[in-house]
Amino acid sequence: MHVEQQQQTVNNAKKADKKRRRCLAIIKSDCDVSPSDTPTVYLAILNVGLSNGLTEESLLEAAAQTGGSVSEVAMLTGKSYCFLVCCSLEDSQLVYTGMHNVSTIGQQGAVAYLSYVTALPTLAGKSEWNKPLPSGLIVLPDFVSDAEEATLLRSIAEDGRSYEGTLKHRHVKHFGYEFLYGSNNVDPTKPLEQSVPTACDFLWPRLESFSSSWDWSTPDQLTVNEYKPGHGIPPHVDTHSAFLDPILSLSLQSDVVMDFRRGEAQVQVKLPRRSLLIMSGEARYDWTHGIKPKHIDVVPTATGSLTTQARSKRTSLTFRRLRRGNCNCSYPTLCDSQQSTVPQELSTTLADQAVSLEQQNVHEVYDKIANHFSETRHSPWPQVAQFLDSFEPESVVLDVGCGNGKYLGCNAHILAIGCDRSQGLLAVGQQKGQNVFRCDCLNVPVRSSSIDGCISIAVIHHLASADRRLSALREMARVLRPGGRALVYVWAKEQRRNDRKSAYLRQNKAVNKERTTEQEQRQKQQHELEQRPQDHVSLPVHTNRTEFQQQDVLVPWKTKDEQRTTFLRYYHVFEEHELDKLVAQVPEVELTKSYYDQGNHCVIFKKIAICTARP
Amino acid sequence: MKLSTYNFLTSMAIKGVKVGFPLKLTISKKELVETEFNPTFVERLLPKLDWSAVYGAAQVAELAEDIPAVQPESIVDNEQLLQKLHHLLFEIDVLEGQLECPETGRIFPITDGIPNMLLNEDEV
Repeated sequence: MHVEQQQQTVNNAKKADKKRRRCLAIIKSDCDVSPSDTPTVYLAILNVGLSNGLTEESLLEAAAQTGGSVSEVAMLTGKSYCFLVCCSLEDSQLVYTGMHNVSTIGQQGAVAYLSYVTALPTLAGKSEWNKPLPSGLIVLPDFVSDAEEATLLRSIAEDGRSYEGTLKHRHVKHFGYEFLYGSNNVDPTKPLEQSVPTACDFLWPRLESFSSSWDWSTPDQLTVNEYKPGHGIPPHVDTHSAFLDPILSLSLQSDVVMDFRRGEAQVQVKLPRRSLLIMSGEARYDWTHGIKPKHIDVVPTATGSLTTQARSKRTSLTFRRLRRGNCNCSYPTLCDSQQSTVPQELSTTLADQAVSLEQQNVHEVYDKIANHFSETRHSPWPQVAQFLDSFEPESVVLDVGCGNGKYLGCNAHILAIGCDRSQGLLAVGQQKGQNVFRCDCLNVPVRSSSIDGCISIAVIHHLASADRRLSALREMARVLRPGGRALVYVWAKEQRRNDRKSAYLRQNKAVNKERTTEQEQRQKQQHELEQRPQDHVSLPVHTNRTEFQQQDVLVPWKTKDEQRTTFLRYYHVFEEHELDKLVAQVPEVELTKSYYDQGNHCVIFKKIAICTARP
Repeated sequence: MKLSTYNFLTSMAIKGVKVGFPLKLTISKKELVETEFNPTFVERLLPKLDWSAVYGAAQVAELAEDIPAVQPESIVDNEQLLQKLHHLLFEIDVLEGQLECPETGRIFPITDGIPNMLLNEDEV
């Protein structure tokens, strides 16, 4: 042997040894499995597993070539290693010497490294697959034949419409009614020209055996999803108010794994090609379902261990029936109908408890989060700055609810004075040399008719009754001189306009990238809230960066410190024209302009008459 | 609190109070902040201010000699007075002190430069 070759061999062995030690350290910390210096029947394949696409089949094939017999394969979800159990020590030694640094079963033909280990990890066998299915979930394998599959696919393609390319991770086509992804609903008044193809009619008699438990009739809506490898659908629940129970989904062309989640519970379900998935009851209403955008699925083998399966093109036919009304299911967490109905007693309770609610869920919270809140409030909103710039030099402008005073320095040519409830926020402004004082927006301690302009940005939506919100506007009207103008911003319930999301929703990156859905986030938060000992919460808790479901809500604020404490702020988010109507109730002003700006309703009003003394 | 801000504050929100103005000012700690003098700004701001409160503030700030008790008819050409008013209104920052309602005697403390005008629920 040449010296160079010898050197090469030594280097290879060194490299393998280094790699082995690194892998063993990972396995040790992951699942507390230790290497063994002497042969055992347990072998770890150190650098190849489910996460790099290893199949049980190819692993067993490689082991068989060594002449050693294997009794068990243990593959772990998401891991780049796996385990073999051999029939005897001799078999184990054969497999070890035959495969270690020899077998090219790794990704792109990479060589595998093996090690004897003292035992199998205790995790093995406790896979996602041994869990019971969500209640109401049924998978009927071989629901259609190969020939029927072909017929269905043909009839869907026949209408000549192409798939819409609007969704990030899949192509869709609708029959009966269009599913509108903006509102996650259908418009029952606008049926499509293309109804559910009659070629699907043969499916329904097959479901008759289930018809006793369901109020069954033929589906009037079909959504066809075409998934290529790597495509997926974020976890969601089909909008309760849009569709009845159950929901049917036929898998064609290839298998896929679907994830079902509820709180922390997660169940994976394999949907074989030509099977029918039935989601009813709890599975339809309370579990989200989704498909991860992956190229390879991990699936159970006939013997109960795990292997991988490459995805290929899959078409799903989801059949649903329109509900045409409110949903009254027994699963309120994800029920849009029930989440958006306000209990009768709530507005009376709110009015009665307005003072204490604002104290606890507005004032106290702002004082606690003042510094962190202030850090997040630095850039002035352009249209507010524009309003401030519209004042003549030497005008006196009062910012009611000035917070950290970010608007007080906007226009250097005016005398800007700010007031706020929060001492913590005022201190930030005072440090910057701004003119501030502390008061409540319901009792502004300023001379009547003395001010040229007023702004109140994101303030009166913290007041817990319509009367109080009106009083705040009256105070602004009172302090304005005749001809003086005010700009008021409040948060809008509607966070989407002309199919465009507000800046607030646009910051929900996970939803925008279709990694998850608002429903999934709501479900998670609901779960979190249930976990923590909660002071009495009588109001629904909003999920940040999702659309509002109600007008009176508690909005969480998570601190950035290690504790990640969650504070709940009370908000009354405004319906369209609600603010205009409040302004109309203030006699001495007239509405100049009303507009929508990035998820806020905004008004500009002008004082018309000389204000008399306060009532 | 600058004395320009003081000029706008009242205690009229207190139940039963009719005018609540001017508030009785006490200064226990103040700071002088030099700012750029803009005569036009002072002159045009004057009509928006209440002279009695300007004069009152001058007395408390020990600048009474500089400011006449009665507002002069025209001030445009009186650069000296404008300068003094500028100093009074924009350069004196009251850090500690109090404001007192002229009708009820209710005290509003000024702490760290911020007057606390917040009223209790039973006062309004």
